[in-house]
Amino acid sequence: MKKILFRLFIASLCLWANALTAQLPSRITLKGVVATDTVGEPAALATVMLLNPADSTLVTFARSDAQGAFAFKNIRNTAYLLKISYVGYLPYQQHLSPAESETVDLGRLTLKPIQRELMEVVIRTAKAPLFIRGDTIEYDATMFKVPPGSTVEDLLRRLPGIEVDEAGNIKAQGRDVRRVYVDGKTFFGSDPKLATKNLGAETISKVQVFDEKSEIARLLGIDDGKEERAMNLELKEEYKKGAFGKATLAGGSDERWASRASYNRFDDRHQFSLIGYGNNINETGVNWEDYSEFKGQGTFQALDGDDFGFGGMPTGIYFSTAEADLLNYFDGRGFTRNAGGGVNYNFDNKKTKANASYVYNQTFLDLEEFARRDNFLNTGAFSNTDTLGRNSFRGNHRIQTRFEHNFDSLNVLVLKGDLRLSRSEDDERRQQRFFDSDASTSTINRIRADNGADQQVWMLNTSAVFRHRFRKPGRAFALSAGYNQEVSDQRERFFSQNQLFIPFERLEQLRTRNLNDADGRQFKSSALYSEPLGERWFWQTFANARYSENDANRQVRAPDRGDARVDSLSVFYGFAEQYYRLGSSIRYLVEGFNATIGLAGQQLALNGRFARDRDLPLLAPPIRRTFEDLIPYASIEVEPTDNLSFDIEYTYRVSAPSFANLQPIPIFTNPAFQSIGNPQLGPERAHNFEFSTFYWDDASFASMGFRFDARWFESQIVYNQRVERSDSLGIITFTRPENVAGGQSLWSYWWGNVPIVKNRLSVSFGGNAGRHLTPAFVNDVRNETDDRNWGLNASINFTPGSKLFFSANGDADFNNISYSIQSDLNQRIRSYSAGASVKWEFVSKTFFESNFNYRFFSNPTFDFRQEVPIVNASVRRLLGPKNRMEMRLAAFDLLNRRITVNQRGTQNFITTSVAPTLARYFMLSVSYNFRGHAGKVGSDREGIIIF
Amino acid sequence: MNTSIHKPLFFIGLTVFLAISATALGQVAEGEIRYLVVHDWVKRMAALDYVSAREREQAAYMWGNRSEWKEYMRFYFSPQRSRYEESDEKAEVEWVGYAWRKEPLLFYRDFERQRMFDIVKAEGRLYLIEDSLHCPQWKVLNDLKEVAGYVCMNAVWEDSLKGHRVEVWFALDLPVPAGPEDLCGLPGLILEANYNNGAMIITADRIDLRPLKAELELPKTKVKGKKVSLKEYREVVRKYVAEQKKAEKPWFWGLRY
Repeated sequence: MKKILFRLFIASLCLWANALTAQLPSRITLKGVVATDTVGEPAALATVMLLNPADSTLVTFARSDAQGAFAFKNIRNTAYLLKISYVGYLPYQQHLSPAESETVDLGRLTLKPIQRELMEVVIRTAKAPLFIRGDTIEYDATMFKVPPGSTVEDLLRRLPGIEVDEAGNIKAQGRDVRRVYVDGKTFFGSDPKLATKNLGAETISKVQVFDEKSEIARLLGIDDGKEERAMNLELKEEYKKGAFGKATLAGGSDERWASRASYNRFDDRHQFSLIGYGNNINETGVNWEDYSEFKGQGTFQALDGDDFGFGGMPTGIYFSTAEADLLNYFDGRGFTRNAGGGVNYNFDNKKTKANASYVYNQTFLDLEEFARRDNFLNTGAFSNTDTLGRNSFRGNHRIQTRFEHNFDSLNVLVLKGDLRLSRSEDDERRQQRFFDSDASTSTINRIRADNGADQQVWMLNTSAVFRHRFRKPGRAFALSAGYNQEVSDQRERFFSQNQLFIPFERLEQLRTRNLNDADGRQFKSSALYSEPLGERWFWQTFANARYSENDANRQVRAPDRGDARVDSLSVFYGFAEQYYRLGSSIRYLVEGFNATIGLAGQQLALNGRFARDRDLPLLAPPIRRTFEDLIPYASIEVEPTDNLSFDIEYTYRVSAPSFANLQPIPIFTNPAFQSIGNPQLGPERAHNFEFSTFYWDDASFASMGFRFDARWFESQIVYNQRVERSDSLGIITFTRPENVAGGQSLWSYWWGNVPIVKNRLSVSFGGNAGRHLTPAFVNDVRNETDDRNWGLNASINFTPGSKLFFSANGDADFNNISYSIQSDLNQRIRSYSAGASVKWEFVSKTFFESNFNYRFFSNPTFDFRQEVPIVNASVRRLLGPKNRMEMRLAAFDLLNRRITVNQRGTQNFITTSVAPTLARYFMLSVSYNFRGHAGKVGSDREGIIIF
Repeated sequence: MNTSIHKPLFFIGLTVFLAISATALGQVAEGEIRYLVVHDWVKRMAALDYVSAREREQAAYMWGNRSEWKEYMRFYFSPQRSRYEESDEKAEVEWVGYAWRKEPLLFYRDFERQRMFDIVKAEGRLYLIEDSLHCPQWKVLNDLKEVAGYVCMNAVWEDSLKGHRVEVWFALDLPVPAGPEDLCGLPGLILEANYNNGAMIITADRIDLRPLKAELELPKTKVKGKKVSLKEYREVVRKYVAEQKKAEKPWFWGLRY
């Protein structure tokens, strides 16, 4: 019975509903009048919107007319959310059901005003968004500043529309606040003051004020129509903060071991990090990824350049490589034991940035090297073999600080300080055998040397750069100042035995003890002013001043002769350099075309004086020389399209000789090779021309570039040689830097990166070509060395799927050197290499990685051929949640063939050297990375992302 | 699609208020705006849910405080038309004194004829998009805020194509359905737009109300590009985003954000 009744009921309901919908018009007209108060003042030009009630999407909108009337004609008859907004009034909302008649008159719709104070103070003055959600008004607490340590009560006092009396009672928009919630929950009972008096203002993100039913109504479930005002304090999401770290421990065959650990903590303003490493596998520092994580936001710096010139002020973000002590820099020769670590702190609140770091690193090196040097003279040639054994230690402490303060958007100050303290110890044993190249069997003489040195150096580099911008865009002024100092103290001992065979066998011995100390100081300052001249022209002018003074004292003693001073080798040298430059440039700029010409006047004054010792009288009158030059400059930068650019630059460079080249001190660590500085040396003068072009494609990331540099020397500093051959000493080479006219250097390289199949197959290629013509005098005969080199390289990367990655590469380097004085000794140095690598995730989270590299070196002139094939392989497995653990078994140099080969030709000699280094070993490592290890095979996913 | 239903309604609503604003208002709802666009590539990275958290965290750790760059855009508007393009003014003071090649870019809207004409670069290729006007589907919220002296209300658009969440603030006093980039279709001029919580923030920083003449004409362009419909262009974007997503690489270096 019940069932039947129910069915009847349902049926009738359906009928009724059908009838109803049948009666409903499909299109309706909706109209109404918007009023600003109950009296009926019309709201002219109010925005009236119809939204979809399900998701608030906008369906249509209209404006009310001068009488406040609005109408939507011929709209679909469905449910709407009517929304009216009018400046100064709270948004009005009304739900509308489908209408029964074709015209719906909503009548008078009255808007509630926003309290004047809220409108003026919150919206207009504080520019803080006032969030209105239904009847809730929300304040953004972070927009109202309170002193640190303030309570919520202090914060509330600052919010417009909210009053807090002496006792802590709160009124919002004139009504008492009965309840305070924290994150929607009652805070320790019902006393609203408990929360506001105890919570810190900095913990609050939002303050919401709303009305709710009275407590009695909520308890009894009876709506008595009474509403009470309540407040909710929303807590801030935790500051952007966290910590991460990683650690690796590895042990292997032949007592190989390595360890590395780092820890970082950060929040939105601070970054703090620790790093440490130690190993005996020739990693003299950490890799780039670890280094940059250690330095964090301080890795790259902008605004630091303190030498202003034709290019204006260096402003780009750059990385200071030369100073990166903790970075791995191993040159491939010998065996090292390494340790290091550091601590870094960065602060950044956008207005002020500060970095400070301390690092220490040390390396013990054991090196053996076998070299052959071939020297060409105008008459004949001679050679020597050189067997070297070296044990050395280097330890560096370094403190780096940087402080940047933006006083406002127009004024910036950057202060930098860098202090380094280094200690080194070297022990070196050398054996050299000299012979005529054409009769290589007969040894002329043999030198055995046993040398040692201990050195301590401290260096300080400081700079300050202040920049002011004027209101006019482009008008700017910058000023910099810097002070640098370097103090070194060195003790050296030399012992050499020269065994002569012609005309009869005998032994010459020399033992000295050297005490060297040096102190160099430099002050410098630059200023720059730039001014836009209309839209198309830009003018810059700059001034540079630099003053440096260097003292070096080398006292050589002969222990075999009662530790007496060796006068011929002892010198105190004092040197001062003054440098001034004043220049100006003008740039013409239109879209994609920038051309600059400039001119500077430069004065370089060099003063030198020398004596036997610091307190002894000068050996000669002081040398004072002044060089004055006009320096022209020109550059053109063209962008024919927005992804192709051409840059051309011409500069004329006048560079002061280095302090080391000026010291009139004979340096001979080895009796066969002696060098002496030249206090008469003048600056090097050269015209430089640079051309570069760059093309890229946004979509495929294809890119290619080409660069060509040329330098023509008016005056070049070269190392002239005098080779003496005597029966009493054998063959001795004296080297002295001198200014020589002529010489040129041409150099170019190109590279490209072309994806063939997007994200799967890509090819990159590159090459270089250069020619250097270097004149130098050998035994007073001018020789011109023509050094031509070119190289080509290519590689291909193939990613067939997400679990497999292949790459193959090859390169070839050619170096032909010819000598004008001895054309039959021209050299053809070659080096070729080919390699391949694979990365394969053969089981989930388990990777096989291997690479192979074959390198071949040759020089037919000496019948030199050397092959170096290297195979490495490893298997690694990721473990644990987020891949935090990694186990790796690796085999390095499976064929046990690794050695380091260098072939180098300069001026009138060529050296070929071979040094043993770490060869085959196996290693098992365990790593823990808090953020997880990369669980991908693609090589490009490792490392830091740089754009 | 909802849009086909909404279009006539939207058009009616539009004409109603255009008529009103043109006659009853008497004030100029026409002029030039300089928008300041603040880009933040770390926040763009953060919005890519398909890139590993490790990579995004690393980008934030290394670059989080210097991942911003700014530029100005020029915008002309009237109740009938709007035109958005690159400005000659430089927002980064460092860049004053150097003139880059400007990227061809245009967002042109004709509300009278319900037409759009865009010049946009995607995947390194230039597209000329000519089609009937298409505006985002807005959710209108209730919050109020002042932007450049105007009280604005907010609305949100969830764009499935690039995965954007765009929150805009439109002026109740400027009855023009226009806005920067491809944003339009609200009862007031859009004065601020925030993409993905700060990945790109466009704010009107100078509003100059004045009668315009030639500025609102469709500029004659010599730009060579591929002529496509909006649907075809959206397909190009969709494909590229999907490709980059598969390779777990950011798509925003190859597309306008």
